[in-house]
Amino acid sequence: MSVDRHVEDLLRELAPQVLGALVRRYGRFDSCEDAVQEALLQAALAWPAGGLPENPRGWLVTVASRRLMDQLRSEQARQRREYQMAVATPEAELLGRAADADAATDRDDSLALLFMCCHPALSEPSQTALTLRAVGGLTTAQIAAAFLVPEATMAQRISRAKQSIRASGVPFGRPDGAEGAERLRAVLHVLYLIFNEGYTTSAGPDLTAPGLSDEAIRLTRWLRRLLPDDTEVAGLLALMLLTDARRAARTRPDGSLVPLAEQDRGAWDRRRIAEGVALITEALPHGPVGPYQVQAAIAAVHDEAPDLDDTDWPQILALYDLLETVAPNPMVTLNRAVAVAMVHGPAAALELLATLETDSRMARHHRLLATRAHLLELAGDRAAAATGYREASLRATSLPERRYLSDRAGRLAGDGGGR
Amino acid sequence: MKYLMLTYGNQAKWDSLPAESWPEAIAKQEAFNAKYRETGELLGAYGLADAVNARLVRRSEGVPVVTDGPYLETKEYLATFYLLDCESEERAQQIAADMPWADVEPVELWPILHESAAEA
Repeated sequence: MSVDRHVEDLLRELAPQVLGALVRRYGRFDSCEDAVQEALLQAALAWPAGGLPENPRGWLVTVASRRLMDQLRSEQARQRREYQMAVATPEAELLGRAADADAATDRDDSLALLFMCCHPALSEPSQTALTLRAVGGLTTAQIAAAFLVPEATMAQRISRAKQSIRASGVPFGRPDGAEGAERLRAVLHVLYLIFNEGYTTSAGPDLTAPGLSDEAIRLTRWLRRLLPDDTEVAGLLALMLLTDARRAARTRPDGSLVPLAEQDRGAWDRRRIAEGVALITEALPHGPVGPYQVQAAIAAVHDEAPDLDDTDWPQILALYDLLETVAPNPMVTLNRAVAVAMVHGPAAALELLATLETDSRMARHHRLLATRAHLLELAGDRAAAATGYREASLRATSLPERRYLSDRAGRLAGDGGGR
Repeated sequence: MKYLMLTYGNQAKWDSLPAESWPEAIAKQEAFNAKYRETGELLGAYGLADAVNARLVRRSEGVPVVTDGPYLETKEYLATFYLLDCESEERAQQIAADMPWADVEPVELWPILHESAAEA
């Protein structure tokens, strides 16, 4: 088991390097990706039993290149040109990694690959699936299991994404300038989506599919090693760690949600908190300050507070003010309203919420309804709060949330006494 | 986000469609299915048997008891269901509106709140 685990970790570490090397050499992302998947599969079968080859990366590049050759040969009549180009490539160019191997090439290949997977021509679900497969080295079956869709559906999504990349003629490489910055934002967004998917679904311990949150953290750690000077990458990693630290306290054994106010803070993961706090403390002064850094800073204030009342709410409110200037959106306003309530009282917060109710998309959103109910409860209007929670529960988009909200409604409407 | 798409009908309605137009109708529906299976958004499409073939099943004192029914009070009953997985509600609505007969009959669209995850 531990040997298998070690092999699996190694393979997933090497996957983007090997794929990057092949794509840089041959282009044809779609064919290279298939070839690398087959090589990874072969290694996963051979290595645990037969032991690691002396140069695992070289082994994978060789096997994947051969696979690619086979594939190209079978398409020979149709694609003679690619075939000749591929065969003409001296293998040494791919394998020639002496002791002073050029780590910068691996780094660039891996980054180029990640940037390619997050190309704007792809829909978000496609970007996510492709990133997990090409960069994360997960199998289609594992990704399908993580997203609760049939494997055939996920295979279709991935193959379509690869076709789109091919059709769009995206050059392999990292865009620079404004386009590069824009693409990095897309990359961070995809990693954040993967993290959130894992954090909110939180299915039971699954031995075959690694948790998506853990995978997102692993990939973001890896990205940070490649781009150590980018403060938003550091901010995102810090945000993930500081959020994930509360995972164990966030749900009860029966799967129901525990709100921040009632969480057992002793169950929070102190190591993750320490790591996240250190990261964000180091990143913030180096600016420019982006939304992930601000959100991480907010999470850090919560994580460092001994309980809800001793939380530094003025500090949190100041951070939400900042976040609203850097990245304004209705969800930020909702969260800011909660901070306003803690600092200036529920009446001021309800006034702020009223500004959102004119937005027709937001007016019926369960988060807005739930937040308003919470503020009404703080203001002492139990009847209105109960109605609000009930309304919010009907519109909730996940079962634990729905149960939580209808439970709150029930408690307020019920005995009228304390909990 | 997953969605359940439902269509309703009854035997009289289907009988009113001339036999020679069925192949075209089926081809249209199959084209729709293929289109969204290929985008990775259609997880499955299922057509149900006629309501006379439906049964009610109970357990009574540990023994299964099967009876005729359900006896529906509505004129139309569930005919097909489709399982979608797409990026947003807007997208699900867009797909529902693309159903071959959405210009004649409305399609019901239900967000799926919960799915039992397979344990490894």
